[in-house]
Amino acid sequence: MTEEREHPIDDLAAYSLGSLEAPEARHVERHLATCTACGTLLRQYQTVVGTLPLGLDPVGPPPEAWPAIRRNVQERRHPTHGRIKLLAGWRRVMWPAISALAASLLIWNIVLQLELTRRPPGPEVEALARRPGRLVILTGTGTPGASGRLLVAIDGHHGHLAVAGLKQLPSHRTYQLWFIRPGLPTVTGGSFAVDAHGRAWATITVPVPLDDTREIEITEEPSPGTIAPTGKPLLAAKAWR
Amino acid sequence: MPDSRPRQMRAWANDNPTGPADIDLLRQVQLGDESGLEGLYARYGGLIFTLALRIVGDPELAREVLQDTFLRCWDRADTYDAERGRVAGWLMSIARHRAIDLLRGRPHQARLREQKELTAVVSATIPSGGAESFTMRQTVASALRGLPAPQRQVIELAYYSGLTQTEIASELGLPLGTVKSRTREALERLRTVLWPVIEQPQEAPKDRD
Repeated sequence: MTEEREHPIDDLAAYSLGSLEAPEARHVERHLATCTACGTLLRQYQTVVGTLPLGLDPVGPPPEAWPAIRRNVQERRHPTHGRIKLLAGWRRVMWPAISALAASLLIWNIVLQLELTRRPPGPEVEALARRPGRLVILTGTGTPGASGRLLVAIDGHHGHLAVAGLKQLPSHRTYQLWFIRPGLPTVTGGSFAVDAHGRAWATITVPVPLDDTREIEITEEPSPGTIAPTGKPLLAAKAWR
Repeated sequence: MPDSRPRQMRAWANDNPTGPADIDLLRQVQLGDESGLEGLYARYGGLIFTLALRIVGDPELAREVLQDTFLRCWDRADTYDAERGRVAGWLMSIARHRAIDLLRGRPHQARLREQKELTAVVSATIPSGGAESFTMRQTVASALRGLPAPQRQVIELAYYSGLTQTEIASELGLPLGTVKSRTREALERLRTVLWPVIEQPQEAPKDRD
């Protein structure tokens, strides 16, 4: 076996100049990973290559170059200062913000409880509302202003749906809840009607695990319901906890 | 034992007795101290601008390369690996890659034409260099001049024009193997002349890059 075949010496020289095509460079790098002698030779080549600019006739850099570099360096420092200021600002507003968030959660909970008490749901629903396994917020994609909350029991198989802001439908039409899964048939969780105020409180089934569900939708369908959604989404949720 | 190397070579070898070592300046940069960057600029700014101008052939572009090189040094000083070469070589490598990147979008024939035109311009406008760098420059220039013309040609095409060996073979109408052999022979000659000067004597402190 020749030395060149054993050690890629020609390629090593070209590699030190950055003059190899990518596949050849990878071949050299694989060899360098196991060959100390070539690693030493490469370092010497690279050091020699690094001195090549000294062989050029010197040209002085323009006088404005260093001030421009310094200005850029100082500008790069500012984001750090900005972050520090932001942090200090956040510390000032942190407790008011946390207090406001806590108040919002309290108010939201009261509203939810009031919503629940407008119906006679019974002890099972009250318990579910106080401690749902999962809570899904649906927002009005096709009906601005409409909203819904899906309270899924800890067992993950049933729950209750509170809806507001949907229009009352004629008797031959109904609203239907859908669980949409990627690559699998969409399944329904039940159908329901809303009252004259546009509100509904319905017991629903959760036929598939929420974690396998990509989106939850409510559509308007022919009564008593269909096997697949045909209407446009009126309420939808794409994320839940 | 006193260091008998030329001053510029000592600086290149990161053993500059008149100021902090390059690696110490780089450590200052790593700590966010601008004076470290300023020290490296004072030491290598001219060389980097010279290199960039030789590659890109335009003073404005060369200035851009110079600035990018030192800003990259500032931003990425932590990525410097002493095992892979000296600080000066690292800076030259950044500058060369940046300059060649600027040329990459253009056909290499156009690059060569521009650089041929530049040679005369630069020779006519170069200010004189500092006395301290004169000896080292002479050593390297002499080593390059000592190369047979075909070997010098492949080195210049690879280093300053950023051409791959395949592109050089195409440019010169030579077999790829011939180009690679010439490249290796040229680097071997340069190594034979320059490496002993760079590395001897070896009394530089080991912890200084």
